[in-house]
Amino acid sequence: MIDFELDPQQRQIRDVARRFARDEVMPHAAAWDREASYPAGTVAAAADLGLLNVGVPTEHGGLGLAMLDEALVAEELAYACMGFYTILMASDLGVTPVVLAGTSEQQERFLRPLTEGPRLAAFALSEPDNGSDAAALRTRARIEGDEIVLDGSKMWISNGAEAEWVVVFATADPSAGHRGVVAVVVERGTPGLRAQPIHGKLGQRCAPTAELILDGVRVPRANILGEVGDGFGLAMRTLDRTRIPVAAGSVGVARRALDEAARYAQERHAFGAPINRLQAIQFKLADMAINVETSRWATWRAAWLVDQGRPDAAASAIAKCYASDAAFAAANEALHVHGGYGYVDEYPVAKLLRDVKLNQIYEGTNEVMRLVIARSLVR
Amino acid sequence: MTIITILKHVPDAESRVHAKDGALDLSGATFVIDGMDEYGVEQALRMREAGLDAEVVALGYGPASTTQALRTALAMGADRAILLEGDELHDPLTVALALAAVVRDEAADLVFVGGKQADWDSAALGPALAEALAWAHVDWTTAFALEGDAFEAVHDVDDGSETLRGRLPVVVTTQQGLNEPRYPTLPNIMKAKRKPLDTRPADVGQELMVVTGHTGTERERRREMLEGDARSAAAELVRRLRGEAKVLREEGR
Repeated sequence: MIDFELDPQQRQIRDVARRFARDEVMPHAAAWDREASYPAGTVAAAADLGLLNVGVPTEHGGLGLAMLDEALVAEELAYACMGFYTILMASDLGVTPVVLAGTSEQQERFLRPLTEGPRLAAFALSEPDNGSDAAALRTRARIEGDEIVLDGSKMWISNGAEAEWVVVFATADPSAGHRGVVAVVVERGTPGLRAQPIHGKLGQRCAPTAELILDGVRVPRANILGEVGDGFGLAMRTLDRTRIPVAAGSVGVARRALDEAARYAQERHAFGAPINRLQAIQFKLADMAINVETSRWATWRAAWLVDQGRPDAAASAIAKCYASDAAFAAANEALHVHGGYGYVDEYPVAKLLRDVKLNQIYEGTNEVMRLVIARSLVR
Repeated sequence: MTIITILKHVPDAESRVHAKDGALDLSGATFVIDGMDEYGVEQALRMREAGLDAEVVALGYGPASTTQALRTALAMGADRAILLEGDELHDPLTVALALAAVVRDEAADLVFVGGKQADWDSAALGPALAEALAWAHVDWTTAFALEGDAFEAVHDVDDGSETLRGRLPVVVTTQQGLNEPRYPTLPNIMKAKRKPLDTRPADVGQELMVVTGHTGTERERRREMLEGDARSAAAELVRRLRGEAKVLREEGR
């Protein structure tokens, strides 16, 4: 059975996100971008509506939203501001390994507090000297009695300074490669943990990013997710899921690019008529529509597979890679349709391009996505 | 007590509709809960939240797609919903008779319904329902409070507003100004899935009035650009708004 209609509940979820995006996010997005300011009040309002940490299971106080529901929310919020959506998305990126590998006790301890206020989680895999080569991580984990001691640093951590806790990936045995990796929950305020905010980002400037410095950080062994050695696989299984919201956010940016370009092409006149009478412009709009439609279907299919209990690394990678490339292309064309006006911040299209560049990089670069896809083809 | 709040599912005011073969083509339109009806849902919920012991029942009428409006009301906080399923083109008097039967069945004491229905712009449903029930009726209400079975309401009249007192049962038609309807939250949307939604065929009997045809009027907008700098264009605009369009009055001196 193939059905391309959303059911009534899915439509309601989308409508809540759409209304919130239109009323609470879109009017402020340009100012947040200009000032690189963290929109704490709007994150709190999103939490009040239930849009934050949507993946927390119902038995621990969350909504346990399906991945397709999450994709609907992602598209609507990213339509208004990709940076704002990244704050929420990065929190679910932190939540996911706890959902996948946490014991019931760990889930209750770490996830329930996130449902009781505007509280964020974070995920720390990349380091200053390695990103795509994740198994080469150097942050050390030493077991000492009932504690685990962490030393090293983590780079590009979304919500790093704001999160209640961070899932830190570290190696207990560098000689064991990816089989030596351990995932540990480190709570904010733990002695030795320091967050150094990263400034000067090209886009998504309202989403806070930090470097985390871990200097003899001691946490109970009870904070280890799964076993020592499970960490790398857990990181990969997490990303196989969380790349879908990146793809869905990209669809939102592409749809916004199309809407902005279509509106401007109606208003702007050249050669005695609106420029949308020119085939050169019409073809750009048509290409953007192709981008929106095709990336949405790839994204929804990857989400549907997760919801069927069959998460598929290649399907998620296809969606993330394709949708973010398509959204970058759409934003680029939308800027071009605006001509000189597209190059200044009077119109929102330059921000779309700056924001969506990151979607091609984070949660695995699009080159890594192609590696993941190829791995499913070549044995 | 039981409060019934009546809902219609109507085309979104922002969606485009086209006239085709002498009728409106709504196939491309998105539908939403009628904004005027939403005030009634909100009012019932606020009264209950303020301590009134009441069950809030959302009662919809129209085609099966009306369940979407009812789900919205359930997600806002209504306890259960009833859909009176039938042709959406019935006239307000026929609909009022069918709704009155449900209101009696439910032994409700208070009914909220939008001051007018956004689709056909008719303001007849509320008064017709009150007539069918032989109940009191307050129109275009902007404030409503209940104490025991006594209510006090403020409603619009041509030159201002009136304050009214009366006793239940009453039909109250709602409008902007009564309250600010809430957004349904995601947790409440999930909870609404488990709330009962009962669908019944509308027992409309003999229709009192039948719409036999529809002729649309199409008007060209008159567009004019005022020449000159901002100051002289503004002066010309004010002159025309006063003199030609007569939407501005001379300032009182």
